[in-house]
Parts: sequence; C-alpha cells; structure tokens
Amino acid sequence: MKKVFILFTLIALLGVTSTMLFANGQKDSGSEKSSVTFWLADYEGIDHDYVKEIEAAFEAENPQYDLELLVVDWNALNDKLTTSLAAGTPPDASIIGTRWILEYMDLGVIVPPQDYVSKSTFDNIAPGAMEAVVDGTLMGIPFAAGSRFLAINTSLTDKVPSTMEELEQYAIEATKDGKYGLIMPGGKHSELTDFAYYFYSAGGDFFDIGGKSTVNSAAGVKALEFMVKLANEDKVVQEGYLSQSRKQAQPIFMGGKAAYVMIGAWAQTEYDKMNADWDIKYAQIPPFAGNDPAPLIITDSIALFKDGKNLEGIGKFIDFLYQDKWKAPLDKQMGFPPVTITAAQRPEFQTPMYAAMAEANLNAKGWPLVTGWPETSSIMWDAIQKVELGQMSAQDALNEAAAAIDAL
Amino acid sequence: MDLTKKNRIRITNSFVILLTMALLLLMLFPFFVMLVSMLKTSKEIYHIPPYWLPKHPTLKNFSLVWNTFPLAAFFRNSLIIALGTVALNTFISVPAGYAVARLHFPGKKFILFAFLITQMFSPVVVVISLFKIIIKIHLIDTYLSVIIANAVFTTPFVIWMLNGYFSGIPKGIEDAARIDGCSRVGALLRVILPIAAPGLVTTIIYTFIYGWNDFIFSLSFLQTGNKYPLTMGLYQFVGRFAIQWEQLLAAAFLAILPVLILFFLVEKQLVSGLAGGAVKE
Amino acid sequence: MSDTTLTLRNRKIKGEAALAYALLAPAVLLMLIFMVYPIFYVFVISLFKTNKLAKIQSFDGFKIYAELLSSKDTWIVIGRSMLWTVLGVTTKTIFGLIIALSLNVKYVGRKISRLLFIVPWASSIPISVMLWQWVVHSEFGLLNHTLRLIGVMNPPVWLGQAGTAFLSCMWVDIWLGIPFMALVFLAAMQAVPQTLYEAAEIDGASRSQKFKYVTLPGIAAILLVATLLSSLWTFNDFNTVYILTKGGPAGSTNILITYVYMNSFEWLKWQKASALSIFTFLILSTVSVLYARIYFKREEM
Repeated sequence: MKKVFILFTLIALLGVTSTMLFANGQKDSGSEKSSVTFWLADYEGIDHDYVKEIEAAFEAENPQYDLELLVVDWNALNDKLTTSLAAGTPPDASIIGTRWILEYMDLGVIVPPQDYVSKSTFDNIAPGAMEAVVDGTLMGIPFAAGSRFLAINTSLTDKVPSTMEELEQYAIEATKDGKYGLIMPGGKHSELTDFAYYFYSAGGDFFDIGGKSTVNSAAGVKALEFMVKLANEDKVVQEGYLSQSRKQAQPIFMGGKAAYVMIGAWAQTEYDKMNADWDIKYAQIPPFAGNDPAPLIITDSIALFKDGKNLEGIGKFIDFLYQDKWKAPLDKQMGFPPVTITAAQRPEFQTPMYAAMAEANLNAKGWPLVTGWPETSSIMWDAIQKVELGQMSAQDALNEAAAAIDAL
Repeated sequence: MDLTKKNRIRITNSFVILLTMALLLLMLFPFFVMLVSMLKTSKEIYHIPPYWLPKHPTLKNFSLVWNTFPLAAFFRNSLIIALGTVALNTFISVPAGYAVARLHFPGKKFILFAFLITQMFSPVVVVISLFKIIIKIHLIDTYLSVIIANAVFTTPFVIWMLNGYFSGIPKGIEDAARIDGCSRVGALLRVILPIAAPGLVTTIIYTFIYGWNDFIFSLSFLQTGNKYPLTMGLYQFVGRFAIQWEQLLAAAFLAILPVLILFFLVEKQLVSGLAGGAVKE
Repeated sequence: MSDTTLTLRNRKIKGEAALAYALLAPAVLLMLIFMVYPIFYVFVISLFKTNKLAKIQSFDGFKIYAELLSSKDTWIVIGRSMLWTVLGVTTKTIFGLIIALSLNVKYVGRKISRLLFIVPWASSIPISVMLWQWVVHSEFGLLNHTLRLIGVMNPPVWLGQAGTAFLSCMWVDIWLGIPFMALVFLAAMQAVPQTLYEAAEIDGASRSQKFKYVTLPGIAAILLVATLLSSLWTFNDFNTVYILTKGGPAGSTNILITYVYMNSFEWLKWQKASALSIFTFLILSTVSVLYARIYFKREEM
C-alpha cells in the first residue's frame, strides 16, 4: 500500500514538472518569427497530413512567418471563436459559415479582407460565390460553396422527379420490401436545412424586406404540411425520423435502404466509402408544381479578425492558399466544387455530382443574412417537431414561431 | 439445521448470481455494442438489419485511426492533464483536508460547507468567466490552465473525502508520534498519510479520471491542436456531415483502455478507500 | 496555577488555528480566484445588458429575473429539471443499493462482477452518451434489433417521441451515475462491522430486518453525502440531453442546464444565461442547506 502511494506521488510530481516544462518550453521557441494563426474547419475528407504540407510549404517560402494552421472540428469552431473573441485573442483568420458574418459585423470584430489579400486572388474567385457582401463591402472571402441536390438510389427507382408532387408519388412507389422512399432527418440539430429544402421549393422566404419573419406564410404552411404528410400519412420516410439528425439519417440512404435523399457535396465520398452494390445518380431538388426551383446553397467564408495579431501575414497566407496548386487538392478532399475560376476548370471537377451542383447553383438561394439565426432556427425546429408529433396544426405552430422570432 | 443453512446460502447465491448477470447485461450492453461495432467495416456497420456480430471481424479501424490521427500525442496530452490535475489537487487538498479533520479553529463548519457549495456549479456556468481569468494571467493555451480548472472542480469533493479518512485515525497515534519528537508536519507526513494511504489512492483515482475525461476546459482553453487530449481528439470523428462510427468506437475503446486497466489494478483500494472517507467514527 | 494552564491552552488553540488557516490557504485561495470570483462575475453579468461577446453594456437591474420568472418556458424547464433530478437520483440510489447488496454476498466470480460494474465509470461522459446514441439508433442500433430478435415486434423509436425521449435521456444519465453509487454503497457496507450482523442473527433477525436495522444505519452517513452529490451532478448533467436530443423533440427534453448552455454558447444571450445560472444556484443551494442540516446534526449526535 505504501509503495502504491509513493509510486503515485512520484508520478504526480513527474506530471507536474513535465507540465511546467511543456507549458513554458513551447512559448519560448520561435520568438524570432512573427506568428500567423489560421483556423481551418475540419471538413469531412480533409487530409491532415496535406494540411501540414501546406503549412511547411508556406513557411519555406516565407521564412519570416511562423504559421499555425489549426484544424478545428465544426462542432467546436463556434464555441472556440466565441470564447476567443470574448477574450480578445482570436486567430488572425478563420473559416466561418457565411451566415455568421452579420453577427460578427454587428459586434465589430471582423475587417474587410481587401486591405490584406491581393486583388489577383479576388479576381480569380467566381463572382457568384461572393455572398458575404454587406452594404457593398465584401466581408468574407468565399472558401467553399455547395448547392444541395437530390441523390437517387438507382436500384430502387429510376425516376427523376420534376416537382415535389412527383417526388411524393415516386417515393410512395419505391416504399416497399422494407425500403424507404425518402430520407428525412427530423431530429433537432443545429442546421435547419431540411425544412429549408421544402420551404424554398414552395417559393418561401424566411424574412420579408422589413425583417419580419414570414415562416408562417402560405409557402411555410404548404412545405410543413407536405413534410408531415410524407412522414405520417404516406409513410415513405424512415420510421425513426424524429430521432435522427442529418448525421444519423443519411447513412440509411448510403446503406442502400432508401430511394431518395436531399444531400450535399459529401454524398460522393460517403457513397464511395460504402463499396455499395448499387449505383447512385444525382438530380435537382424539385420545386412544388407552379414554383421555380430554388435549392439551398451553403457557403463558408474566411473572416479576418480585427484583434488578429498579424493581418498582414494572414493576407499573404490566403494569397498562397488560393493558388490552384494548393487549393484545388483541398477542394477535392472536401468534395466541394472550387470557388476559384481556374480550379473549377480542372478535369477532376467534371464529374456527374459536380455537374448537378453547377446546375443547382444557377437558381440557388442561401440562408438569410440576419443576426440571432441560431435561436431563430431553434424556434422553428421546435415548431416543426410539434406539428410532426401531431401536437399542433402547421398554421398555428408557424404563427407562434413567427411571433416568437419577431419578439427576439 | 446446518444443512438447511447451507441450502439457504446456496439458494441465495444462485439468486444473487442471476440478479448480477441481469444487472451486468443492463450496464454493459453499450460496451458489447462498442466491441462488436469497432470490428465491423463501414459497409457492415451500416447494414440493415444490423448484424449482431461482425461477419468479417477486422482490426482495420484501429490501424486507420492510429495512422490518420495523432493518437499518441493525444494520449500524452491526456496523461499530462490527468497527472497534473492529480499533482495540483493532492498538493492543495492534503493540507486542507488535514486542517479540517484534525485541527480546531473557528469557522470550520463554514469552510466545509463552502467547499460543498462549490460543487453546485457546473463548468458550463463558469467557463466564460474562467476563460477571461485564464487570459488575464496569460495561461491561455497551456496545459496548466486546464489542470487548474480541473483541480478546482475536484478539490471540494477530495477535501470532503480526506476529511473522512483523517478524522478516522485515532488521535493517540498522532500524539505518540509527536511525543517521539515529530513536528505536526512530520507527523502528518510520517504517520497520518501512510495510514490514510488507501483513502488517498481513492481520491487520486477520482481526480485522475476527472482530468483524463475532461472535455469542456480543454475545448475552451487549448488553442493548438498538438495540445489536445484524447477526449477532444475523439470529437474529430464527429464531422460536420457524418460520423465515422466504426472508427470513433475503435478510438473510444483505446481511450477507455488505460483508465480501465488502472481501475482494475486499484479496484480493491478504491472500495476500501471510499469506505474510509465516508464512514467515520 | 490554573491561570497558567489556561493561557497555555489558549495559546495552543490559537497556534492550532493559525496552522489550520495556513494549511487551508492554498485551497481557499485557489477556490476564491477560480471559483468564487467567476461565480460572482456570473451574477454581475446577469444585472447588465451584454453584447454577444459577454461584454457589459448598460445596467439593467433585476429586470431579466422578472422577465424570466414571468415566462412560462422557464417554469416548465425548471419543473422538468426537478423531475429529472428526483427520478434520476432515486433510481440511481435503488440500483446502487441492489448492486452493492449483491456484491456484498460471497460467491465465486464476485470479484469479476465487481470489476465489470465500474466499467461505465472509466469512460468519459460525452463518449458514453454518444455510444448510447448509437445503441438506440432506430435503424442501426443493436438495442431495437435485439428486442426484435427476442420477439418485441415494434420496439419504440426511443428518441423520437416526447415521452420515451425524456425517459431515454434519463436512463442514460442514470446509467452514468450507477457505478459511483454502487461502489460507494459497497464500500460503506463492507465497513459495517461483521459482529453487528452476527448479533442480529443470534437475535433471530430476518434478512430484511438485518438490512433495515444493521445495514441501513451503517451506511446512512454515506447515503446522505452520496445522494447529495448525485443530486448536484444529475441536475447539472448537460452532456446527456445535449448530445442525444438537443432538447427535442419539440422541447420535451430540455432541462435547465441545457437551457443555460443554449442561451450562452449557442444564442450568445449571456445576461439571460447568467440569470438562469443563478437560478440553478438558488435551487441547488436550497437542497444543499437541507442536506447540510441533517449531516451536521448527525455528526453532533
């Protein structure tokens, strides 16, 4: 017993000394160079070794800088940015969801990137990708942009719907032998994408020009009633949809058990991983009859932070990163079509999935740029689930949600 | 008479064994799922209806996670944080525990109660203001920041436990040592601590596990990837769009293993230590 | 003569107190800086309007408290938190007692089962909760698959209905808490002197009588401390609900601590989150004071 105790004390002492050494040792090294910090979101498929390669290559080319290229997972990114901004120690730049831009502008923590990133870099970015323009100034550099589309399991159905009503019909036909017609993630998660697919397809908009919530418009009610009908009446949706967020629901499609799913750029990578014995094909998310197609597009941007220590250096790094040589392989790993014009023309981006995304881009609609979006989308989630559980009618629940959103 | 008693014991035992098996099934079912899932390929794991056992058991997931993620570094970081927490916690809790258990002073009850009260706060509640303090004292992105936070959250419980162990030691033993010429501190080190060692082991294990499993403080205070502990490293298997379940579970298994082995080694002391801390005469 | 002994004793007590304070100083200092001050700061924030980065803007008094107290949502969430805690701690205690009692019986394989029961404790909570998420998955999860195999044809979609979602979250929290309870109770039971049982046996006590008159009083002190700690931990268990359901479906699993988290890190409403934190503090300190009363009263006896 005594021995155990002594052992523990020794280990503990060792632990504390090594801690001190690590804690201090790392600060002292490399004080000659000026450090540059960039937070890269951990997109599915990113090769961490490749990220290190980029880091080393940049430092070799610019020996005056000590680049810290940190890969942060998406779930932690928002928390980490919030805490570091609150403490005044943000990175120089970070990937963010474009819809966060307005929030950050509101707080006055980001600066326009034009002052630090060279014009030639901007000139090579597709104009359609420049979504983060607020009052005429671009506040975030487009990093990745991808429209959502429809993926089809061709062993279960061959039909490509041109309207939502057709999709419903085909999904009903495909629902048999334990297979589902359509995957619908209904478990609350941080993205409201699945409602947005139907809502935009019915011609809906989340807000009117005056900034009032219009989720309870005719389009909203139509979209929600349609979703509930698919799930509870037609029963073409997977049984446990209310318990499944996107991450839990989509593998059911990839496992070959459903005919249709509305999905994004990661579809091909996930499909490849399964070694599936069925073929996948891509099509557009259809509009409701009489409406125009309006698939959702999600974009991510790079924001430069006002409290960053080395904006000059980060500008240099972004110029470096946006060369085809470095950015195109990264795009390929992430599965997103490139936002840069020259990279988009490379042969590796001419597959059927990229073709479907390019077509979707023509009509695509992004998230509304508003502040307080996380709470807004949480309120809408609760309303949607209430209707799906049969607790309220679509009109009542959405009216209530709209009132709550306007009260924020 | 003797025979019936033996029979009675036998019946009790078989009942207890059955009950234990049922309870174990309940408690260990998720780990059974983990064991079989981490041996499946991604095709198998997403098969419907699910396979109970992997058709073609494979260790590929282990080599995959080991090669794509710096698991060794995650392990080292977890170890630094856990051992650092143990060290700091022991260093401040032993004197405090001794004081509340064996010395008379005004305000003792208040202090004991104050320590208890601090257990009421979830890290979620204080992490932002803690973060601001950590920034102010320039400890951001150091192991020390995470160690301090974990030590703060484990200290109250440990002092309570130590209070139990120390007050259980007869006063006579300490007095004898002091008559033999030991100072108070000498008596603490040479007499009290060795007697209370089983209890101390328990608190050390408790603290170690707390530090090893820390998530929220590492998430908030550590900025560079090469300082991430295992818990944060595991989070990287949960992507934005998909979860690599078979790999996540393989990595989780590796993360649990050291704590499990530690548990198995000291389980006996743990039980007797918990008893000493709470049941005092 | 009596005078000098008195001053000697006085001096001794004074010296002892000084030593006590010196020994307590590091712990107290650490708690003051890293615990008490942050808590105080949380209270301060609740009195001010804040921006989304928790920077104080303008004094607001107790307005947010009035607002929260008049909101139905707050009361629903508080009520659910109480139910969550009471049901959770009761079940953990019952399971803990049953397991401890069964481990206290001598049989072959007892050591192994003792080891196995603490396995869930070794895993970090977020990981365990994610594991459960996988276990109860309605398509790939082995729980429903197993239930179907043994004849339950339509097992519930555990996290997909308001009632079962709450119960499922509670079960996961209970499952997380059982090993600690079982181990602590077992430890306490093993410290009950064997002679007491022998005496009871001679008096002809039945099994349940022995439990009631020997075991229970023997472990009463630890039962008190363990259930108090468990109440605090259960009330503050944020991971389970957040990872399993994010409070859904339709808000049916939202408890106070997840509500605090969403208001702070997700919606950046620091003032509201701080005020809600103060509520958790008030509720839990009421519980603790009640417990402390009983505890110290026992000690004096």
